[in-house]
Amino acid sequence: MAAGGGPDVFLVSVSGEIESGQFPGLDELYCKFCFVYGQDWVPTAGLEEGISQIACRSDAAAAALVWNLPLDITFKSTNPWGWPQIVLSVYGPDVFGHDVVRGYGAVHVPIEPGRHIRTLPMFVPESTSRLQKFTSWFTGRRPEFTDPRVVAQGEGREGGTIFKLHFSPNFCL
Amino acid sequence: MSEYDSIHGEKSRSRRASRTGSGSQDPPLSFCLPPVPSASRTGFAEFSVRERMREKLKAARVSIQNDFPSAEEAYKFFTFDFDSEAERKKTGIKKRNELNHEEEEAEEEDAETHEEGQEEDETVRTKMPENMQPRFLEDEGLYTGERPFVSPSNLNILENRILRQERGKEWFGDDGKILALPNPIKQSLTRPPIFSLEEGIEPELETLYRKAIKVTAANQYLVGSGDFQGPFQLDIDISGLIFTHHPCFSREHVLAAKLAQLYDQYLARKQKNLTTLLTDKLHALRNAVQCSIEGGDAAAPKPIAQQSIPEYKMEIRQTRRLRDAEQEKDRTLLKAIIKVWKEMKSLRDFQKFTNTPMKLYLRKEEVDQRLDEKAYEAEIQDEINELLEEYREEYEKKMEEYKAELQEWKSWKRAQSKKKKKKKDLREEEESIDESDLGEEPVKPVPPKMVNSLEIEQQVREKVDSFRRKPGEPVLIPELVLSGSITPSELCPRAEVLRREDVKKRSSFIKVLFNSKEVSRTVTRPISSDFRVHFGQIFNLQIFNWPESLKLQIYETTGISSTTLLAELFLPVPETTVLTGSAPIEEIEFSSNQRVMLDHEGVGSGVSFSFEADGSNKMTLMTSGKVSNSVSWAVGEKGVPLIPPVAQQNTGIASALKSIDAIASIGTSGLTDMKKLAKWAAETKLDPNDPNNAALMQLITVATSGEARVPDFFRLEQLQQEFNFVTDEELDRSKRFRLLQLRNAEVAEFRNYKEVPLHEREISEKIFQDYEKRLRERDVVDSKHYLDARRAVVANYLQKVRESVINRFLVAKHHFLLSDLVNEEEIPSLGSEGPGILGLGIFKLAEPKRPLKPRRKERKKVTAQNLSDGDIKLLVNIIRAYDIPVRKAVSKLQQPSKHSRSFNEMFTASPSAQSPGENIDWVLNQVLVRPFVEVSFQRTVCRTTTAEGPNPNWNEELELPFRAPNGDYSSHSLQSVKDEVFINLFDEVLYDVGEDDHERGSGIHTRVERHWLGCVKIPFTTIYFQARIDGTFKVDIPPVLLGYSKEKNLGNDRGYDSVRNLSEGSYITLFITIEPQLIPGESVREKMNEMLKKFDTQEDEKLLQAAEKYEAECTSKFPSRQCLTTVIDLSGKSVFITRYIKPLNPPQELLDAHPNSSQITAELVARYVALIPFLPDSVSFAGICDLWSTSDQFLHLLAGDEEEHAVLLCNYFLGMGKKAWLIIGNAIPEGATAYVLTLEQNQYAIWNPSTGCFYGQFDTFCPLKNVYCLISCDNIWFNIQEYDSPVRINFDTSKAKLWKSFFSRSSPYPGLSSIQPEELIYQPSDKAAVVELQGRIEKILKEKIMEWRPRHLTRWNRYCTSTLRHFLPLLEQNRGKDVEDDHQAELQKQLGDYRVSGFPIHMPFSEVGPLIEAVHSTGVHTIDIPSVEFALAVYVHAYPQNVLSVWVYVASLVRNR
Repeated sequence: MAAGGGPDVFLVSVSGEIESGQFPGLDELYCKFCFVYGQDWVPTAGLEEGISQIACRSDAAAAALVWNLPLDITFKSTNPWGWPQIVLSVYGPDVFGHDVVRGYGAVHVPIEPGRHIRTLPMFVPESTSRLQKFTSWFTGRRPEFTDPRVVAQGEGREGGTIFKLHFSPNFCL
Repeated sequence: MSEYDSIHGEKSRSRRASRTGSGSQDPPLSFCLPPVPSASRTGFAEFSVRERMREKLKAARVSIQNDFPSAEEAYKFFTFDFDSEAERKKTGIKKRNELNHEEEEAEEEDAETHEEGQEEDETVRTKMPENMQPRFLEDEGLYTGERPFVSPSNLNILENRILRQERGKEWFGDDGKILALPNPIKQSLTRPPIFSLEEGIEPELETLYRKAIKVTAANQYLVGSGDFQGPFQLDIDISGLIFTHHPCFSREHVLAAKLAQLYDQYLARKQKNLTTLLTDKLHALRNAVQCSIEGGDAAAPKPIAQQSIPEYKMEIRQTRRLRDAEQEKDRTLLKAIIKVWKEMKSLRDFQKFTNTPMKLYLRKEEVDQRLDEKAYEAEIQDEINELLEEYREEYEKKMEEYKAELQEWKSWKRAQSKKKKKKKDLREEEESIDESDLGEEPVKPVPPKMVNSLEIEQQVREKVDSFRRKPGEPVLIPELVLSGSITPSELCPRAEVLRREDVKKRSSFIKVLFNSKEVSRTVTRPISSDFRVHFGQIFNLQIFNWPESLKLQIYETTGISSTTLLAELFLPVPETTVLTGSAPIEEIEFSSNQRVMLDHEGVGSGVSFSFEADGSNKMTLMTSGKVSNSVSWAVGEKGVPLIPPVAQQNTGIASALKSIDAIASIGTSGLTDMKKLAKWAAETKLDPNDPNNAALMQLITVATSGEARVPDFFRLEQLQQEFNFVTDEELDRSKRFRLLQLRNAEVAEFRNYKEVPLHEREISEKIFQDYEKRLRERDVVDSKHYLDARRAVVANYLQKVRESVINRFLVAKHHFLLSDLVNEEEIPSLGSEGPGILGLGIFKLAEPKRPLKPRRKERKKVTAQNLSDGDIKLLVNIIRAYDIPVRKAVSKLQQPSKHSRSFNEMFTASPSAQSPGENIDWVLNQVLVRPFVEVSFQRTVCRTTTAEGPNPNWNEELELPFRAPNGDYSSHSLQSVKDEVFINLFDEVLYDVGEDDHERGSGIHTRVERHWLGCVKIPFTTIYFQARIDGTFKVDIPPVLLGYSKEKNLGNDRGYDSVRNLSEGSYITLFITIEPQLIPGESVREKMNEMLKKFDTQEDEKLLQAAEKYEAECTSKFPSRQCLTTVIDLSGKSVFITRYIKPLNPPQELLDAHPNSSQITAELVARYVALIPFLPDSVSFAGICDLWSTSDQFLHLLAGDEEEHAVLLCNYFLGMGKKAWLIIGNAIPEGATAYVLTLEQNQYAIWNPSTGCFYGQFDTFCPLKNVYCLISCDNIWFNIQEYDSPVRINFDTSKAKLWKSFFSRSSPYPGLSSIQPEELIYQPSDKAAVVELQGRIEKILKEKIMEWRPRHLTRWNRYCTSTLRHFLPLLEQNRGKDVEDDHQAELQKQLGDYRVSGFPIHMPFSEVGPLIEAVHSTGVHTIDIPSVEFALAVYVHAYPQNVLSVWVYVASLVRNR
């Protein structure tokens, strides 16, 4: 991260990688990432969205799925409000070979320069009823967020909307 | 023991006094900070000591007289006597030694008192003037202060010395004691400063080494303290819980809670009765003043009494002010109570049920009118007099000041004039100085004004009127009773029933935590309907630990499973004196910041709601309540309190401390808490007479009268101020902060503002100008922009409605449903067409494959969020056009073929009779037309190639990029895109401009001109909502196209002739879609409707339920067909739709125009309706909701969308005696819309209310594509036929198989009253204003055309203009039909040598902006031939009720050579 760039804006440049994930019992997963940021932020360079290769479980590194997907993006902004967040979603095949979502997660880009390691808990929305759980399992159409960016937003969480979340394990960034 | 104690206490106190008195030089802090222990107690103690001594001495004397004293007694007596004698001698020396040894002092004190006891009387008498009795002020309750201690011997010496002097008695007070100041200590330092030996270190800061000692932690366990004295027990009695706010509170409950609170306040005030108290005081003071004045006259003048008069007066003023304030408070409280009660009553009336048993009675107490008036008058007079006096005093003071000033000024003036005289001689040299001197001239003082007594009287009366009861008015005493009846659940509407059920489901319990460990919990009790929970449990806690904290946790359980922690509250550990049995029940308030939103009548917690319909005046309440409980120490079997002993000791020390120092005992925060302060004051027995305490005492007595007003502020974070990096004012001034705030509030101007600048200086003021202007002009009617004051008012009103709707919308937008966030497959059901493996889809798998019948593949839909500029394209496929006007040979004079079609003609579809000879003639003379289409969207223009002939076939796909406003691709933003797709039809004309034959031979030199023929406009939102638009559209062609004619008969050789023959006008077939396909944000609309349904309605609950059921049934069968039963009116209430339909009278003028032809009349009425300007809600309200206005509102506003037009037209037709229905359906290009269906001579006709056109049921070009339901004044029919295209359905509503009716035999029509007015009243339009408007429009348009041609000279051809102007009324008369040929001929005749190209534009009038746009879009002004001339004429025709039809004729003229 670097600040500067004239009197008008400040720049935040992020580089890093999505290292690996721990999803016990799951294999052959890939992940997508995108950045969510406020109105005053503009990406100036780099990729805003990306998708990784499919990673298989390695025997060596304690059942971790290693992606090593590089991230490199630079933002310019005038306002710290809406500090960029990285949103990850992980997909993989289920028993029948349908591509289903295995986890969502979001974390703010560190606000401090330097090397940081972030571990994200991942979660997926649960079906609203048992029957739906069964049918969704059967058809391979599990509940998904309409937009992965939802996980980076606060709206819609209070009072009215309650959805059950199923937490799946960790994830390294 | 106790005796010793009291003496001991006395001693130690006096010792301290003596020490301080004997010249110790640093003022002890304890003197400044804590209030000195009370003097009255001192007095009492001294008195008791004296008394005891006296008794002892008496006893001694008696024993001497009676018999021999015992040895012991004698010894005592003598030692006493001896001691006192000895002490008296010694004291002097001892003082000097400053060795104040405790015992010695005690004896000394005893001796003193002894002596006093004996000699009191004589000594006092010697010090008093003759025949005066000593007076003890302290005994009379006056404050005397604590006298400094002076040793009695010194005192005696001093007194004797004084008494020897002349007039020595002046030094003694009334009580015979020497006059003394209470505190002789100097505030300033008199001791010389200390000089430190070490350099560089301040002497005060010098450090001393002290060995660190480990503090042994206070032993937590009572058990461990060795002598365990048995169990200690705390009794905690939790009797109940009352919610003062709960999420399940209905609106009525909120009011009831408020009322109860106000009433409690009222009772408390009544008990205090401060008003009467203060009034009495005022009277007493007035009497005192009166007495002292009168007494002063009679007896010898008493200086003290005279002195005290101004003080009294001062006090009177103060008291009066306080009294007035109290009275005002009483009054406002009463008013508030009544207001809340009224609100509650109206709420009950409105919701038609009662939730709370509260009732307020106002008892009137009659008063004697005469007496009352007298008292009232007297009171006013008194007040006036006092005020007068006050003012007079002030006036005198000011007058004096003025005099002094005047004097000064005069002297200055004199000096000045003297100077001037002197300077006259020296003028030449010293002019400059003179001038500078003149600059300093002081202002002449202004004499003060005397206040008029009348004015004062008026002032006083006004004030009194405002908050005092009028004389003779009965005294109102409110009485709150709980005797009302609650409406049983069966009679309540559904939402209320839901609420009650929800309340029943809830229950709560309380956990008791002792030292943060749960020790017990109450049983779970349901919350009763009045939100009280009764526990009535007593917990006996046997404790071993020190009670450090005692905490209650209130839990609420909903249903079976979920338990939430509502609040935690701390109970104070009781004082040791609080024992079970005597402990009072206390109510402790709690509140929680939990946020609850409910989907029934309950108002929720932490959620803003309002009593108003449109969501204004919001309030947010938090869950709160009171727990009534008592905590006390238990009493053991033998009546021994089970209190830990060390705690006793601890509290003992603490209480000793407490009595001294307010801050130590209640903490700094307690200083702002009046109740605590008052309690502390009462506990420490603060001397109320001590002037040091006066401010405190007054504050406590006045302020603790049961109201929370005292601190005008509430400080959540006392230290917040320290952390504010900038003051609030500065923050408010900050433009950047303001910008951020406005953006956050989603103010329209700033909603999508990106990249708020980093620095203040980069924000220009301009950003706010528009916004501020809008705010300012919200209520200002600006007629300048609208040309017409009435329309300005209407526009203003619409703006307000829009704001109100948008306000609601913003609320709805942030309210997410589960389906907004999570995509989830619905539960598949057997037999439905829905997706999923269990549905019918499974059979589709078994279907045979048919490669020759390709199935349409669904395009993948894209969520709108992850898009950016350039991703979205608009695809416009232009297929073909029919019946384009063709060029006409200039010389040809067409015979006037005027034929209006009748209904019959249309339906029978017979080709009209025209002689074939003419056709041949026409074919021979045919001039080709070379049309092409230009599509413009968001300033991007694309065109097709040029085709030939009046029925061209292009079949071309045009691709236009789409850019969302501000790059915001959210569905909300896309819905509010106002851009339209313009599809313009042009004729490409080639003119040969070869100068001569010579040139013509060698090369081709042509000029290409494009002539506008017509256009189709499709709003982007329509495309967005429809996903694709596929159909044939009527091209909007001006009624007269100079140089073009439109042939209706092309001969019989074409197959589709008969079809085309039915319609007039040109048509174009288009296919428009967006690539990639966007998901329309329909959910917002649905959600909004959900939201709005929660708002008020005046419909019967049963009807609404039936409507909901009906809608659900219909949509389950035909999910794509919209079923409409209730709509929202302008005030935001849902109304049953049939209430809108009612026969209404059209303007009489229209009916009278063609009395013999009902068809023409019907067309005229339709035209009238179509002339009312069109204002789509979907654009202005961003696709949120439809608001339906009634016909009179519609005519008043003169703006509305399809529904209003359709309703009005339908009502007119009904009024004219036709059979008419409202069609809810789908049309292109509008999308979901409303049309009108009429039955004409066994044929159904479909009317488009926004254009005034009508179509037969089997008309191919009818824009209405789907029919969903029909609505009449007494029923709704939903289309349950297989098809919904008007061509394929049967409109016979009596067939139950085809139409599902809302009211049937089983549930008959209940006779709903219409919300339409009985009769529409039309105001004739103001002709003069219309003429003026016409002139103004013409002027504006001419100016605009000249403005658009900045580089060219614009000449106006007056002759042509006047010709056109004459022609326009004719067009209006014929409603723009079939006048072309006459006109053409006439124009040709009059302007023989000009080539004229131009056309009339017809529009309903709403604003001038669209007119300008329309004129601009024709492109007449773009012609750049040097010798061009222009003509422009405007005609405004006024229909009743200010419905204006505007004709603009623009033409360009080129002289033929």
